[in-house]
Amino acid sequence: MRARAVSAAQVGLLACGTCRQLTRPADKANPGDCPRCGARLAWRRAHSIQYTWALVIAAAICYVPANVLPVLTTTAFGSTESDTIMGGVIFLYVSGSWPLALIVLVASVMIPLGKLVALSYLLITAQRGSVANSHERTRIYYAVEFVGRWSMLDVFVDAFIVALIQLKPLMSVEPGLGVVFFMAVVVLTMLAAQSFDPRLIWDAGHDYRAQHG
Amino acid sequence: MAEPTELEDLPQATVVRPKRSRISIIWIIPILAALVAVGIAIQRIRSEGPTITIIFNAAEGIEAGKTFVKYKDVIIGRVTQVQLTNDFARVNVTVKISKNAAPLMVEDAKFWVVKPSISITGISGLNTLLSGNYIGFQPGVSDNSWDTFGGLDEAPVITEQRGRQFVLTASDLGSLDVGTPIYYRRLQVGQVIGFDLAPDGKSVVLKIFVNAPYDKFVYPGTRFWNASGVDVSVGADGINVRTESLVALLVGGVSFDLPPELAPTESAAANATFTLFRDRVTALRATDPNARRYVLYFNESLRGLSVGAPVTFLGLPAGEVSSVGLAFDAASATIRPRVVITFSPERLLAYGSVPAEVQPFKTALQDPQKRAAVLRRLVEDRGLRAQLKSGNLLTGQLYVAFDYYPGAAKVKLDLRQPEIELPVVPGTFTVLEAKLTSILDKIDRTPLEAIGSNIKKDLESLDETLKSATKLLADADAQIVPPLKTALEDAHRTLGAVERAIDNVNSTLLGPDAPAQQELRSALQDFARAARSLRVLADQLERQPSSVIRGKTDAASGGK
Repeated sequence: MRARAVSAAQVGLLACGTCRQLTRPADKANPGDCPRCGARLAWRRAHSIQYTWALVIAAAICYVPANVLPVLTTTAFGSTESDTIMGGVIFLYVSGSWPLALIVLVASVMIPLGKLVALSYLLITAQRGSVANSHERTRIYYAVEFVGRWSMLDVFVDAFIVALIQLKPLMSVEPGLGVVFFMAVVVLTMLAAQSFDPRLIWDAGHDYRAQHG
Repeated sequence: MAEPTELEDLPQATVVRPKRSRISIIWIIPILAALVAVGIAIQRIRSEGPTITIIFNAAEGIEAGKTFVKYKDVIIGRVTQVQLTNDFARVNVTVKISKNAAPLMVEDAKFWVVKPSISITGISGLNTLLSGNYIGFQPGVSDNSWDTFGGLDEAPVITEQRGRQFVLTASDLGSLDVGTPIYYRRLQVGQVIGFDLAPDGKSVVLKIFVNAPYDKFVYPGTRFWNASGVDVSVGADGINVRTESLVALLVGGVSFDLPPELAPTESAAANATFTLFRDRVTALRATDPNARRYVLYFNESLRGLSVGAPVTFLGLPAGEVSSVGLAFDAASATIRPRVVITFSPERLLAYGSVPAEVQPFKTALQDPQKRAAVLRRLVEDRGLRAQLKSGNLLTGQLYVAFDYYPGAAKVKLDLRQPEIELPVVPGTFTVLEAKLTSILDKIDRTPLEAIGSNIKKDLESLDETLKSATKLLADADAQIVPPLKTALEDAHRTLGAVERAIDNVNSTLLGPDAPAQQELRSALQDFARAARSLRVLADQLERQPSSVIRGKTDAASGGK
C-alpha cells in the first residue's frame, strides 16, 4: 500500500479548491463550504470531464475554420491577397525564413493542435481509469495549462499589423475571419485546461465515483 | 422479541438527489461553435462560383492566386491555376469565378489579358503597371452556360458602349487598322473594330462601330471614304487642302457623310454593309440608285476615253463612263465603239434649286413612263446629244459631254432596250479634223504652178512698163525744164515791178504828206462845219417852227 499514493478523498477528506485547506466534509454528498476561506467545497470539480470535453470539442470545431479562413487580407497597389495561417507559413518558408516559418508553424498550428490532442488524451485516460503514466499525464496537463497563455501570439501579431499598416489607398491590411476562430480555439483550450481537474488523473484505479457520484 | 436489531440491518434512508440532466449546459459551446463553423462553411460553399478554364496562347503576366478577372473594374474571379495544355502549345488558366458573376459565363463571353499598351491613338491599361496584368472580360449574349473559353490576344475594342456596328467593304485595307477613328464632320464618332479578308479574297471587310448618338446619322445612302492623308485640289478659288485631324493624317481614318443631293431618311440598320470609297470626291460622286445605264455608239476613236471618265450634262458632272468596248453592228455589218455610261442628270436638280419645287419632279422621274417621256422630249425635241470632248489637250483624256444641239439631225429613241441608246454628234476633235482636212484639200486642189507662171509673166511686163515710164520721165526732164526756168524768171521780174507800183500808190495816196490825204482832211473839216450848221438849224426849227416862215428872232434865239 505504500507504493500507492493515498488521496484525500480516499480517507474521507477533501481540500479546498481555492485555499487548499484540508477539511472534513460536512456531508459526503454535499461537502459544504470551506471553514477558512468560505469557498464552496467539492470532491472534484463539478462535471469536470463533461465540461472539458465540451470545450475541447468546441475548440476542435473552431480549429478547422481557423486554418481554412484567411487571417489577414492585404491590399497593396490594387491587388488583394488573403493569407491563411498555413499560407503564411508556406510563404515564410518559400521566401527563405525557415526559422520564422518554424516558429509560426509551432506556435500557431502545432501547439493548438497539440493542446487538443493532449486534453483529449487526458480526458480519455481519466474516463477509462487508466493507471499508467500518471506522472507523465500530470506533466502534460501542466504543460498545456502553461502554454495556454502564450497561444495568443498570432492574434497579437495580427492585431498589431492591422492597427499599424493602414496606408490607404496604397496598402491596407484587414483582419480575416480566421483570426476570430483562432482566438476561439485558444480561449476554448485554455478554458478546457482550466476545467479539467488534474486530480482525476490520480483517481484512477480507485472507486472514486462510488464516493461522490 | 424486542431484541435490538443491528443498525446495519436497517435500511439506509436514501437522499433522492434532484434529478439533474446528465448533459451539462456547457455543451452549448461546442454546439454553437459547430453551428457557426457549419454556417460559414455553407455560406462559403454557396458563394462558391463556377470554375472555368481559359486557354491563352501565353500566360503573359498571369499568376495563380494573384491575377484577377475584372469586369467593369470589379473583380469577378481569380486565377487559381496556370498550366500548359497537354500538347504544350498553349496555356490553360483555371479561374474561380465568384458566385454572382456565374450567370455571365456564357458561350460567347470573351476573355483577354489587359496589359499596358501605348499606341499612337492612346495609352491604355496604365493601371496594370501598378496592379499587374489582369484578365478582362466581356459578357456575351448567349444563354448557354460555358466553362472553357478561348482567350483573345487583344481586347475587343468595343465592350459596353451604345451604338451600332456597320460593315464596310474596301478593295484594300490601306492604312486602316483596329482602332482607326471614324469621323463625321471631323468629329470622332467611332472606330474600326476589326477587319478581315472577304471569303473570296478579293476585298477587305471592315467592321466599324459608330457610337450613339452619332450612329443615327448613318443612313442607307451614306457614303464612307478613306480619310487618310491629304487631299489637295487646285481650283478656280486657289489651292484647297483637305485633311481630317492630325491623328487621321498619321494613323488614317474613315469619314462618312450623306451626299448633298440625298435627303436624310431612316437610319441604317445595324450591320448594314457600305462601300468604302477611295476618297471624299469619289465617295460623294458615286453613282446613286437613280442612275441609269445608257449606251452610246461613237463613230470615232475612243483613244483617251477611260472607264470612270466623267459624263457631263451642260458642263456639270452627271455620271461616268462604265465600260468602253467594241460592238458588232448587225445592221451595217461593221464594228463600232460602244460606250456604256451611267448617267443621272436629275442629280443635278438638287443644286441651287428649291427642294420643294424639285422634289415632285424628282419623284415623278422615278416613274419609268414619265422618265421615258422626259428623255424623249429632251432628245427628240431639244436635240440632246452626246459628244466626245477633250478634257486635257496635253494628255488627250476624253470625256462625254451632253449638250443641246437644236440643229442636229432628228432621231427616234428606242426606249424598249434595257440600256437605251442615246444619239451622238461627232466630237470636237473630229469636227476640227474634218475642217482642217477640207481646207487642206482645197489648198491641194489650187493650181499653184499655173498661178506662179502667170505671176512671173505679169511681173515681166510690169518691169517693161516701169522702164518706159523711166524713159518718159527723162525725156520730160530734158524738154520741159529749161523754158520753164525762163518763164519763172520773167514772172519774178514782173512781180518786182508790181511791188514797186504798189509802193508808189502807197506814198501817193496813203502817206501823211500825200496831197490826197490833205485834201481829204480839209474836205472832212468842211463837212464837219456843214453838219454843225445843220444842227443849229434843227434846234432853231424845234424852238421856233415858225421861223421857217417868219425868219429868225433875236429874243427867241437866246445867246446866239
